[in-house]
Amino acid sequence: MFRLNLKIALRNLWKHKGYTFINIAGLSIGMASCILIFIFVRYQLSFDQQFANKDRIYRVVSSWKYADKEDFQSGVPRPLAAAMRNDFGMLEEVAALQRAGGIIKVKDQSGKLRLKTAEDVFYIEPGFFRIFDYPWLEGNPQQALVQPNTVALSQKMASRFFGDWHKAVGQTFQYRDKTLKVTGVFADIPDNNSNPINIAIAYAGYENKDMKEWYTVSSSSEVYILLKKGVNIADLEGPKNAFLKKYYTDKESNGKEDHFFQPLAELHKDANYGNFSGKIMEKSQLTGLIAIGVFLLLTACINFINLATAQAIGRSKEIGVRKVMGGRRKQLMVQFLTETLTITIFALLIACVLTEAALPGMIGLFRENISFSIMDHPVIFVFMIVLVLLVSLVAGFYPAMVMSGFNPMLAIRNKVNLGNSGGAVLRKVLVVMQFTLTIILMTGTFIIMKQMKYIREKPLGFNPSAIAMVNVPGDSLSRLKYKFLKTKVENETGVRMASLCSSGPSSMDVDDINFSYNGKKPGFHVGSKYADADYFKTFDLKVISGKGFSGNDSLQEYIVNETFLKKLNIVSPEDAIGQKVSLGGSADQISIVGVVKDFNNTNLREAISPILFHKNSRKATVIAVKMNTQNIPATMKNIEAIWNSVYPDHVYMADFMEEKINKYYENERVIGTLFKAFALVIVFISFIGLFGLISFVATQRTKEMAIRKVLGASTLELVNMVNFSFMTLVLLANLMAWPIAYLLINKWLSGYAYRIELNIWPFLIVTSVSMIATLLTVSFRSFSAARANPVDALKDE
Amino acid sequence: MIKIENLEKVYKTEEVETTALNGINMHVKAGEFVSIMGPSGCGKSTLLNVMGLLDKPESGSYKFLETELLTMNDKERSNFRKRNMGFVFQNFNLIDELTVFENIELPLIYNKVAAPERKRLVNEMIERMNIVNRSGHFPQQLSGGQQQRVAVARALVTKPKLVLADEPTGNLDSSHGNEVMELLCELNEQGTTIVMVTHSSHDASFSNRIINLKDGHVISEKINKTRSEELI
Ligand SMILES: Nc1ncnc2c1ncn2[C@@H]1O[C@H](COP(=O)(O)OP(=O)(O)O)[C@@H](O)[C@H]1O
Ligand SMILES: [Mg+2]
Repeated sequence: MFRLNLKIALRNLWKHKGYTFINIAGLSIGMASCILIFIFVRYQLSFDQQFANKDRIYRVVSSWKYADKEDFQSGVPRPLAAAMRNDFGMLEEVAALQRAGGIIKVKDQSGKLRLKTAEDVFYIEPGFFRIFDYPWLEGNPQQALVQPNTVALSQKMASRFFGDWHKAVGQTFQYRDKTLKVTGVFADIPDNNSNPINIAIAYAGYENKDMKEWYTVSSSSEVYILLKKGVNIADLEGPKNAFLKKYYTDKESNGKEDHFFQPLAELHKDANYGNFSGKIMEKSQLTGLIAIGVFLLLTACINFINLATAQAIGRSKEIGVRKVMGGRRKQLMVQFLTETLTITIFALLIACVLTEAALPGMIGLFRENISFSIMDHPVIFVFMIVLVLLVSLVAGFYPAMVMSGFNPMLAIRNKVNLGNSGGAVLRKVLVVMQFTLTIILMTGTFIIMKQMKYIREKPLGFNPSAIAMVNVPGDSLSRLKYKFLKTKVENETGVRMASLCSSGPSSMDVDDINFSYNGKKPGFHVGSKYADADYFKTFDLKVISGKGFSGNDSLQEYIVNETFLKKLNIVSPEDAIGQKVSLGGSADQISIVGVVKDFNNTNLREAISPILFHKNSRKATVIAVKMNTQNIPATMKNIEAIWNSVYPDHVYMADFMEEKINKYYENERVIGTLFKAFALVIVFISFIGLFGLISFVATQRTKEMAIRKVLGASTLELVNMVNFSFMTLVLLANLMAWPIAYLLINKWLSGYAYRIELNIWPFLIVTSVSMIATLLTVSFRSFSAARANPVDALKDE
Repeated sequence: MIKIENLEKVYKTEEVETTALNGINMHVKAGEFVSIMGPSGCGKSTLLNVMGLLDKPESGSYKFLETELLTMNDKERSNFRKRNMGFVFQNFNLIDELTVFENIELPLIYNKVAAPERKRLVNEMIERMNIVNRSGHFPQQLSGGQQQRVAVARALVTKPKLVLADEPTGNLDSSHGNEVMELLCELNEQGTTIVMVTHSSHDASFSNRIINLKDGHVISEKINKTRSEELI
């Protein structure tokens, strides 16, 4: 029976090659998109999940409530780890993780320099390795990192330093001014990890480990806790409040301090806090992707249902005969579902090929290492089976029910009429649904593109072009050579000017500091940057009142931006000149000498914040070099040579200001590309579906059209008649899509302080485009049907 | 009214060429009722389709009131057809989704007749065809005879100069068939020119003249004395 059914199924598919092609094309592309999305989502959800204790691990993070906003920090004050270990009884383990970085030098036996490199390092308490069960290849994590100046390396790093990781233990290397002894080697930490640790130095040797300051928080200082078994995280709330009261005693503090225990699984998903890997995938984006996947699949299923019910009439005779011969409804259902399953499995095979073909693009898009190996992740296989069954059921159930429900006597005489019954109405509803989804995605894509263009082109209030940001070493010896470096760089042809500073005008890492203005503490923090006198010219920032910094380094001066004044309710910038500001509780009162016109100091999602520039080139971390636009690569090469001659013991690192800014919009780039790709896919699926449906309708109405033609209808009148119903459906879909698209897009745009205003145009354009595309798709078929010779259609059988 | 000379029509399929019309010469006078008879496959329907401008012959001439129709382009043919001709088919060819009224109204719509005028003309036809209480029904709800009466009504509602009927009684039993034949006769008496294809000599006896076809050409022609006196 099954074999017979399969045979009939295959023959039927072959007989209706066109429809079969449309179904398989739609389903396979829809499924491929779903598989890609699944692979991606699975990968994102796998972050930090490989640990045995994963459900009991939390990161302690900080937040501050101010009058007008809330701030979040992944870091905690340095004394916190020790204090928590002391005060919380419900914790099995508390461990600090401190990120630092610097130059590492590895020498060979003869003492010759083998390797010089700048690396991120982590100071780690041994307890960290009781919380996270990283596999160690050599050494014991509990003993290896007890002594100061001991270090454990990842397998990869150990091989890089010493050629063969087996030989690493017992060797030493130079990190900054310390000599570290290798006491352990651990397995490489996979990419799907929020703590990319390669060099683990004993926390005991961390120079700032005993700092007692509760009001200074660096995002480099993280603390992890492991709950005792059976303890609920909510139980920590009481002790935490007592803890906050006990340690935060300063009544003068601007914001209200708080700590939060962030579940390990959230590290990768919460952009408020971030993590050391810099990789974040927000939950809302994952949800959005999953929604798109469901959309695509639904669209493909709708094609299937539409074409299957449309074809049902043509098969009514077969069904009638089967019923008369004793076929029961259940058997017929099984037969039709078998057919659907056949198509779906076939579509899955093609989908796998498509997925493989699209995967490199996807990996390139996310710059992540995603694999599509069923062996590595059997869950992908499970997903595909579920997908096939789900699609077969969703797509196949309704048509199977309709067809198996035919009255056998009517069916056998080919008299079943689906034309005016539920079938046609359902088809219309489904087409409207399908196109509603399509239009939403099209409109969304269109507006995302517009917003991205807006971001790209919006003037930032400074000029980031042709500026290289070259790191300068921060140790006291190197600092003495800043001026020397600057002069040498400035003398280089191709360099217009240079400025020593802590960061460019726009940067994500601003130090928020509390301050007092003429002795009074206002209710907000100011972002502070260090800069020298050339800063404003280098970045083309406009000083609108007062003057720029003086060249005299020993004279302390501040320059503030317009927002700083606005927040203090100072209307005229002139009024601020000469006023005194003291920063971070220091007693020094320093004068404001100038006001700079507002510029975007972070990305365009954020509004401009109050900014204060310190004249202090010794606190610089970079030298910003403005170049002539011609021959930048050669200029950069020369700058590197100069740098290396000034700092032979350090590692040169530079990037471009414009690239830094572009990196803020990494997410937008990814989302924009995804939307473009998936919008294209959904448009393709919807329109081939539409083409299938119009083909069917044209065939079904051939005779009617012939009659009308004989009665005097012109070709155009016939084309219009057939097109009309389709055009109405797509128009209806547009009308339904508008409010939904508006709400979704508005929500997305509200995440930007700088955004385009929504007007009717994108909606109208998408509507016109979709209507024209519909007209073309439908006319292609209806035209040829209307042109056919009526005599052929009217011939008596 | 109609003068046909040397009409030739060849159907080419993949393997065979069928000469459906092989040099037809004939004429039809205004007000005449002509029957075309002959064995199956001899080209009767083809001839009728050519006369109705639904099909194009390979060669020959077809003059309708001194106008040569075969040199017209598609659009002109279509316009000429909808103004001057009406069709009745063996299997009625009504549109199932439309009511009796709407079916009859259709050619008027395509002739761009204004709505009130359409209503008047259709109702007039419906009365004449004796199907008044059926005007809201769908074709499936009618008997074959009633359906064919609707089809005739539809063919006549535009007051065509020529009605072409291809075996109009072929799908009907004899009593319904007779009804339709009487209807056609009556129309003819009111002045409509009719060309009808038929297998039945009984039906042919209603006409003025019978043209016999074989293998695509006219083999004989017979004037029906009883019906043709007043014409000649
Ligand atoms: N569309 C067509 N394609 C090929 N041959 C056709 C076509 N229409 C008719 N014929 C052939 O032309 C001949 C005349 O057909 P037709 O005019 O329908 O005959 P009749 O109506 O007298 O039975 C037949 O041999 C038929 O097979
Ligand atoms: Mg015939």
